[in-house]
Amino acid sequence: MEGNSTETRPQAANGASTNGSSTDKQTLYAVLQYLRKNNLKETETLLKKEANIQDDDVPKEQQSQNASEVSQALAAYKSEGDPSLYEDFYTNLKNFVEQSLDTYKGELAALLYPVFVQMYLELIYNGHEVAGQIFFIKFSQEQESYYEDDLIKLSTVSKKEHMQGNQLMESFRTSRFVIRMSRESYTQLKRYLQEKKQALLLNIIQERLFIDVYDGLPRTKQQIDVTSGGMSGEARREANKSKVLYGLLKEPDINISLDDDDDADGEDKDKPKKKKQKKDLLSMKKSKNDPNAPSNTRIPLPELKDTDKIEKANAYKEALKRVKITQENKPSICFYTLLNSYENTTSIEISEDSSILSAGFSDAVIKVWSTTPNKLRCMKTGVELDMIDKDVDDVLERMMDDRTASEYKTLCGHSGPVYSTSLSMDKNFLVSSSEDGTVRLWSLLTWSNLVCYKGHISPVWDVTFSPHGHYFASASHDRTARLWATDHYQPLRIFAGHLSDVDSIQFHPNSNYIATGSSDRTVRLWDVLGGNCVRILTGHKGAIHCLRFSPDGRYLASAGVDKTILLWDLANGTLVGQLKGHTGTIYSLSFSRDGSVLASGGMDNCVKLWQVSKVFNSQDSEGDLNVPANVDLNENYEFGSYQTKATPVLCTHFTRRNLLLASGPYTPS
Amino acid sequence: MADPAKVRSAKKHSILSHESMKAIAESVGVSGLQDEASLHLAEDVTYRLKMTIQEAVKLMQHGKRRKLSPADIDNAFKIQNVEPLYGFNAPDFVPFRHASGGGREVFFQEEKELDLQDLINGALPKIPLEVSLKAHWLCIEGEQPAIPENPPPVSKDLQKLESIDPSIKASNDKLQKPKPLAEIARAKHKAKDLVKMKQHATHELSVEQQLYYKEITEACVGADETRRSEALTSLATDPGLHQMLPRFSAFISEGVKVNVVQNNLALLIYLMRMVKSLMDNHNLYLEKYLHELIPAVLTCVVSKQLCMRPDVDNHWALRDFAARLIAQTCKNFSTSTNGIQTRITKMLSATLQNEKAPLASHYGAISGLAELGPEVIKAFIIPRLKIEGGRIKSLTEGALVNSVDRISGDHIKTQLVKLVSPVLKTIRKPPDSVEEYKEEYGFLGNLLYLSVTKLRQQPATTSSQSRPTVTLTQQKPQLLVQTSLGSSLPRTPTTPRTFQTSSSLINRTPGTPTTPGASQKYVILTQGGSSTLTSVSGSFTPTQTVVRVVTNTQSAGATTISTSTPKFLVMPGSQNTGNNNNTNT
Repeated sequence: MEGNSTETRPQAANGASTNGSSTDKQTLYAVLQYLRKNNLKETETLLKKEANIQDDDVPKEQQSQNASEVSQALAAYKSEGDPSLYEDFYTNLKNFVEQSLDTYKGELAALLYPVFVQMYLELIYNGHEVAGQIFFIKFSQEQESYYEDDLIKLSTVSKKEHMQGNQLMESFRTSRFVIRMSRESYTQLKRYLQEKKQALLLNIIQERLFIDVYDGLPRTKQQIDVTSGGMSGEARREANKSKVLYGLLKEPDINISLDDDDDADGEDKDKPKKKKQKKDLLSMKKSKNDPNAPSNTRIPLPELKDTDKIEKANAYKEALKRVKITQENKPSICFYTLLNSYENTTSIEISEDSSILSAGFSDAVIKVWSTTPNKLRCMKTGVELDMIDKDVDDVLERMMDDRTASEYKTLCGHSGPVYSTSLSMDKNFLVSSSEDGTVRLWSLLTWSNLVCYKGHISPVWDVTFSPHGHYFASASHDRTARLWATDHYQPLRIFAGHLSDVDSIQFHPNSNYIATGSSDRTVRLWDVLGGNCVRILTGHKGAIHCLRFSPDGRYLASAGVDKTILLWDLANGTLVGQLKGHTGTIYSLSFSRDGSVLASGGMDNCVKLWQVSKVFNSQDSEGDLNVPANVDLNENYEFGSYQTKATPVLCTHFTRRNLLLASGPYTPS
Repeated sequence: MADPAKVRSAKKHSILSHESMKAIAESVGVSGLQDEASLHLAEDVTYRLKMTIQEAVKLMQHGKRRKLSPADIDNAFKIQNVEPLYGFNAPDFVPFRHASGGGREVFFQEEKELDLQDLINGALPKIPLEVSLKAHWLCIEGEQPAIPENPPPVSKDLQKLESIDPSIKASNDKLQKPKPLAEIARAKHKAKDLVKMKQHATHELSVEQQLYYKEITEACVGADETRRSEALTSLATDPGLHQMLPRFSAFISEGVKVNVVQNNLALLIYLMRMVKSLMDNHNLYLEKYLHELIPAVLTCVVSKQLCMRPDVDNHWALRDFAARLIAQTCKNFSTSTNGIQTRITKMLSATLQNEKAPLASHYGAISGLAELGPEVIKAFIIPRLKIEGGRIKSLTEGALVNSVDRISGDHIKTQLVKLVSPVLKTIRKPPDSVEEYKEEYGFLGNLLYLSVTKLRQQPATTSSQSRPTVTLTQQKPQLLVQTSLGSSLPRTPTTPRTFQTSSSLINRTPGTPTTPGASQKYVILTQGGSSTLTSVSGSFTPTQTVVRVVTNTQSAGATTISTSTPKFLVMPGSQNTGNNNNTNT
């Protein structure tokens, strides 16, 4: 360490001699210009390379960015980066924020964290390790508590060598930190920067930050806190400008089943019609021509088979018997406890019709249980199948081998913990994702592995089937989400953009969009058709472990490590609700079938019920995108909380009749 | 880097020391590592380790666990393209041993040499149980049913809080229920009077709870043994019993009072088993009802007579069982403030010292004391050996011997020898001499000598006697019904002396932790017609316990309790002062 400090000291002295007067804005300006002139002769070629220097009247340290690739540029960069200056500048900025008017204070304070991070990184990058650490210790305590995780990660980076290959670093250096600010606040900031002429600071703010200026009232600290927390700041407003066709497919279920029933099975004709009438009576508002709905052919969807239609018919029948859940009429919860799992259970999933429960374990096994008296059966062998008369009505029933009936089946094939399973709509397939980087497709007729999808190179955290079948999507540690089709061994789309692990993934009810939640604390919505990101939703303060679309497709609920559920309006990408109350990581969300109630469960061994219809009702009018979210986020929507004995809740699921199912492994301490 | 390392807060900036780098380098055969190099290594290794741990935490979160496991670290290595460590298992506790020498301190994990032969030939570890799925109702229309699968509706802590300050419960109830108009009016009235009134905590039972109470009490004292064991299991495991606890407590207490008088051994045994079940239920805050339960249990330990035919019936087993219950009570609930153990010991030794008390009571007292541990035996039983021996001798070998006395004498004799010998063995130094024993312990000296010498020869491990299991053979339970009152009471009702002792035991020492203030307790058990059982209690205090059984008056003299249950328990005539003689006012 002696070597280091002696190295840094002369530089410090140098810096002091050149920049000692630089606190005075005019002199600084002059000196920097002079330096640039002087250096031009020596590093003329370099500066040509750095062609993107802007000819503003204030000099910029463009080198830092290019230097990450060009090490020769380091020398020039070093001479300017006097470590003591960083501290002064940061303190100066802090004082400015503190002394500014209360109205602007909140927005201006948002600058402090990114500036702090960038200054620290520059210090470290330029080898001022000691100065960097002192800087870190001095100011890291003042940062917002929700950046704690990143700060811990940042503190591990104490040498230039560490910066390479560090995920957090990459995201800080490659993407700009977004700060949303009202025009008034921005004017304040501009004035301050012009007065002070602190090259360092100006460089950071101009090059590393993106200040998204809007016309309107400055937001309060509280309002800012609600939407900040993302690894790269808030979402730019342009990012959420594009239109999202969040409506459901044009009554796809009913229309298709109706039409097809008319064409195909005549005997079912009157049945669905009746259903349709009753269906309209239900609270599900299904206008005939929803302007927000994508056309049914926007992405190719598989045609419904006869069995699917029967299933749909059953679903409608069941839906008619649905109970309405209100504050007075609370739901019943049936809890499926996994016993003797020894902290091995990594995921639990219940099929849409609530008849099958699948669980993934850390010993690479998947177990599938039947929750109904109908046992799970295997299909007969080929020879036996040949002998079946194919024209019989109950041919499907005859295909199954009763001798193989059992309460549960085990699927072996993965070589690492199974982090997620998902059942297809027709209950014929199951996809699973594992630590071994593969996604596997299993047949629930033969109970065997059909396809192994290799594409992700790191653990695959989550996988989900499209509500229309055929497609499924996976989310991985490699920071991508991928869209697959069961008949392609390669992904159809790769959704890249998240700055950290993609922890959770969910299909929109209309299958045209995919939502992903990530460790970079943002939720993104991707268009399946174009593969582009159409929404970036910031506000979470921790990794996002579960996502769920409301049944009408307009809202999205997300939750995770930060123990908070956030509700988003996809129409304009605004935050509409914040549900606090859990005391552990939330691993499961589920909307009731009518969308009025949200159930959540997590590591705090608790199932909670939230009256989200209240939130949505207050949001019916389309909000103005330019006006920041101004929702009363402190209102308490919780109306039920049910503790289990010692069972984390890994899965919640509403049956078609709105009975709540929940499941988890019993883990006594 | 040493200076800033000191400044850094330990949480975020801990770093491996360069000494450990050197130690690790040596362990892999690199000696003479330069200071500079080890410093750099330490920093870099720290960084890599932290990165690995950050990755591992992600794996833990996705594994839905709260604890980081070695598998997470392995997989984190895998993600980072580092070869994982092989052969690490996951014991809960990794013992690090400390060694120092040559001016260095090292912590290391001891690796034992294993004999492969042993591993191959050794028994295979148990196959872990198969994962299974079990469904239960977490909640039914918003109400969480009180079943063992769910957490107790009112936690033990809350029960305790309520028992200390009943107003908490009252306020909790009030929060849930809107106040009836009458109550508001009363409250206003109260305010006018300016008299500070204690709030009444009402214990209302729902219809289901009443049904449950009825079923359980019926099953517990009924004839069907399978139903009884079911009921007892329910009492021992169900989480939602605290509302009914006052009733169960009263049921047991009253039941013992009645059946001691009736000499109904079977029912007494059933009631003791109920006490046992209640004590086994971890969800109950039993402290509040000890003032009722302890006297009842003690009665079964030391009562003069517990059965119809003392010469034939095995009331000894009941006494032993109750003695164990008392010992369990002491173990679970005795604190320095309530002094339960002291008071129980005092009461039992008083019985033992009472020359006039029958032998059966002495037997009970001896069992009870012996259950409290060897120290108690040493202090209270051994000094009495000689006197006790003399008494047994006079009663069993005298001219006028009746069979009851003889059997009692034999039981005490064997009990004393069994219980005292192990203690004597430890406090007396060998060699033992018959003469000394006879000198010190009189009549029993010879037997004790034999037993102690026998014990000395046995290896130490087998000397601990196996406890008798609680299998009680008993006669068919008789249901005492009101109509059989006359026939079932041919004997003169014996006054259970023990009630005096037990009540005096409580009277002597006021102020158990569960007794805020001193007032009276009324248990009002209404007639079967009314649907709710309401016990209004000013506050629970054992110091001055008044049990008034309010019933219908048409059955003159005979007092029935708990009329919501079938009337199989009958209070004897009210002239029986033994039951109520602890009225203090």
